[in-house]
Amino acid sequence: MSSSETQARDAHYWSAQMEAVSQLRDRDCFMRIYDHFAPRVRLYLQGLGAPEAVAEELAQEALLRVWQRASLYDATRSGLSTWLFRIARNLHIDRVRREPRWVPMDDEPWEPDGDDAGEFSSAESHVAQVDLRNRIERLPAIQARLIRMSYFEAKSHQEIAEELGMPLGTVKSSLRRAFQRLQLGVRGQA
Amino acid sequence: MSPRHHLDQATVISFAAGALSPEMAAVAATHIEVCPLCRERLADAERIGGALLGEQQPAATDAARSAYLRGMMQELLAAEPQMQTRVLAARAEAAAKPVDPDALPRPLQPYFGASWRALRWRWMAPGVHMIRAAPRSGDTLILLKIAPGKSMPVHSHQGTELTQILQGAYDDALGHFATGDMADLDNQTEHQPVTAPGVPCVCVAALDAPLRFPGWLARKLQPLVGL
Repeated sequence: MSSSETQARDAHYWSAQMEAVSQLRDRDCFMRIYDHFAPRVRLYLQGLGAPEAVAEELAQEALLRVWQRASLYDATRSGLSTWLFRIARNLHIDRVRREPRWVPMDDEPWEPDGDDAGEFSSAESHVAQVDLRNRIERLPAIQARLIRMSYFEAKSHQEIAEELGMPLGTVKSSLRRAFQRLQLGVRGQA
Repeated sequence: MSPRHHLDQATVISFAAGALSPEMAAVAATHIEVCPLCRERLADAERIGGALLGEQQPAATDAARSAYLRGMMQELLAAEPQMQTRVLAARAEAAAKPVDPDALPRPLQPYFGASWRALRWRWMAPGVHMIRAAPRSGDTLILLKIAPGKSMPVHSHQGTELTQILQGAYDDALGHFATGDMADLDNQTEHQPVTAPGVPCVCVAALDAPLRFPGWLARKLQPLVGL
């Protein structure tokens, strides 16, 4: 089986588990999600600089939020990993950095859209998720590095520029190009 | 009407990644609230975050510790009901709340309070009023109110500046910036905004370095403004 078939199976698998949690409150399905994602959320939070014990605690809390708000989950609107990413990032901003809440209600599995957002809204299909992962793997090395420093270390453009000895303008244009490449993936376009 | 000037896509990535300072994030969020295009880009940037989160490969952990945490979670599941009705009711209530014309954009409220009327503007120069938020990180967050038809000093920036127009409009070499528009500028930009006639131009700006004014007047102004 090719790696993208495996990934497509994974994406289907996790959203099926989540559907069962959402509709049937199935604890076994939830614990499968927990076993897979809790270590990943913990690793992400440690990468952002949270001490191990704090990362552990916040990962528990992130997964518990998924359980509590499961009834809002809609597999056609948001991937489970995207929802968990958003929860984990917000917990880090709230609890570790103790900064003001910047967007209210953004712990929902998808943004509660205003009346005009529907036409832009794109479903996050399994095919699109797999395509996105492939595009991340195929990014040019420097773009991949800048994307990782942004997401996994939460470094600002200026900090990245200083650390890598690159002009600020180059950091920004490389990130823009990376985003445009990856956006083709998330939009599900060729 | 949808805004015509947007956040740089590189800034959207930083916002999604939690890599902006709180001041920059407050200004970016103020734009995102009124901009469907940037909201969609933010959703895309968060999907990238989700994919990166999912593809991480955690190292093997302490088995006893993992079993303990797992047991804790199972106990919590039994104790914590899913929140369906409560959450949905709260959300419906929030959506039904009428928009208060005196309310500041929500992302700015932690810095400037909730009410336009309660703002205490400080006079800085003829036609220019300002409020500076209490410093939090190293960045600066200011509200600026500039009288209509006024020319600001030519200036450039050492770092990044995000400016969201809350009311009124201005023109500079980059174009016409109206209510809802975002000016996402870096140190390559030198500009001289001129406010449009009619109403004062009110904007909120986050800066990560002091402004640089090249002119004689501006040098006199700079210590007064304290930027």
